[in-house]
Amino acid sequence: MHEIGVRETVQFAGLTFNWETLVMTWITMAIVVLIAFLASRSLKLVPTGAQNVVEMLIVWLREQVQNNLGPRGDFLTPLIVTLFLFLVISNWLGLVPQMVSPTNDLNTTLGLALLMVLIVHVLGIYMKGMHYIKHFFQPVAPFVVINAIEEVAKPITLSFRLFGNIMAGEILIIILLKLVPIWMPIPSVIWLAFSIFIGGVQAFIFTSLSLAYLANAVKESEE
Amino acid sequence: MIDINATLVAQMLNFLILVVILRLVAYKPIVRMLKEREDRIAGSIKKADDDAAEAEAVLNDYKAQLATARTKAQAIMDKAEKRARDEHTAKLQETNVEINQLKEAAQQQIQRERSQAVEQLKGQMVALSMAAAHKIVSKNMDAAENEALISEFIDQLDKDKIGDLPC
Repeated sequence: MHEIGVRETVQFAGLTFNWETLVMTWITMAIVVLIAFLASRSLKLVPTGAQNVVEMLIVWLREQVQNNLGPRGDFLTPLIVTLFLFLVISNWLGLVPQMVSPTNDLNTTLGLALLMVLIVHVLGIYMKGMHYIKHFFQPVAPFVVINAIEEVAKPITLSFRLFGNIMAGEILIIILLKLVPIWMPIPSVIWLAFSIFIGGVQAFIFTSLSLAYLANAVKESEE
Repeated sequence: MIDINATLVAQMLNFLILVVILRLVAYKPIVRMLKEREDRIAGSIKKADDDAAEAEAVLNDYKAQLATARTKAQAIMDKAEKRARDEHTAKLQETNVEINQLKEAAQQQIQRERSQAVEQLKGQMVALSMAAAHKIVSKNMDAAENEALISEFIDQLDKDKIGDLPC
């Protein structure tokens, strides 16, 4: 029986890894690459099937990127598309029996959130230079404390929101299956459907918040 | 449940690898294809506009040509009509002239014939007068008798005069 919150770990080069999370992440990556491969295997000017779906997703996310970051942020679209696809597939993977979501591990969500914040700051300094650093001391110098708290809060809220949602969803599925007799599947099915919805919504929230943070660093200040 | 370990770094790397793969496998070709499609649609729309403009130009050209042809045809018809009328008038005049000539010729002929007839009559008259004179001389009559004879002769002349020509 799967015990909640206890993780199999492996030691490698003196470091501890959550084995299950890594395997599930690789499965997710494989699924995402497969979808991308199927969608772009035979690209046609008049799209059909899988190409339609992935194309729609890319066009939609590209629009989001352009609305938030302006034309200068176009090079970040692959990152955003990947982030969304990875998160959606991760969140939904846990709904398949015998599988768990990579996003039910704080290591995954915090890793992604930190990566995003890191990209934000690096891009901010790269694209705006001193102007970007100066904005932490706006409107007056003492505000640097509040701004610092905000910057620290960003990855924490981002990661814990996703982690909490997915973890709670999976826990509730296990609990429902234990509480309700097997001939009464309606609560589990409803919760499963709701989890599918939550998985999509959380992926979208994570993606749009990342976009909003990126906008802060990339978008031109006069805009 | 919340234990942060090296998995965090591994997940960052995993995600970055995924970004690179997706960018290569899907994103670039799809965006290129989207651009291609955009260009194609823009090209099609432009071509349709150009075609419509060209069609309109051709139509206008044809209309102009048609109008010119119509004007030309009208001009040709007018010219032909005018020529026919002129010819008609000329023929009429010619005929009139001919008729007049013929009339004149006929009149001349009539005149000639009449004078000829008068001449002939005169000749006959002389001959008759001679005959009458001879009769008178041969009879040797007096003046009264002579006069009676002549008047009788002239009466006779009047009686069987030829036509009603004045003598």
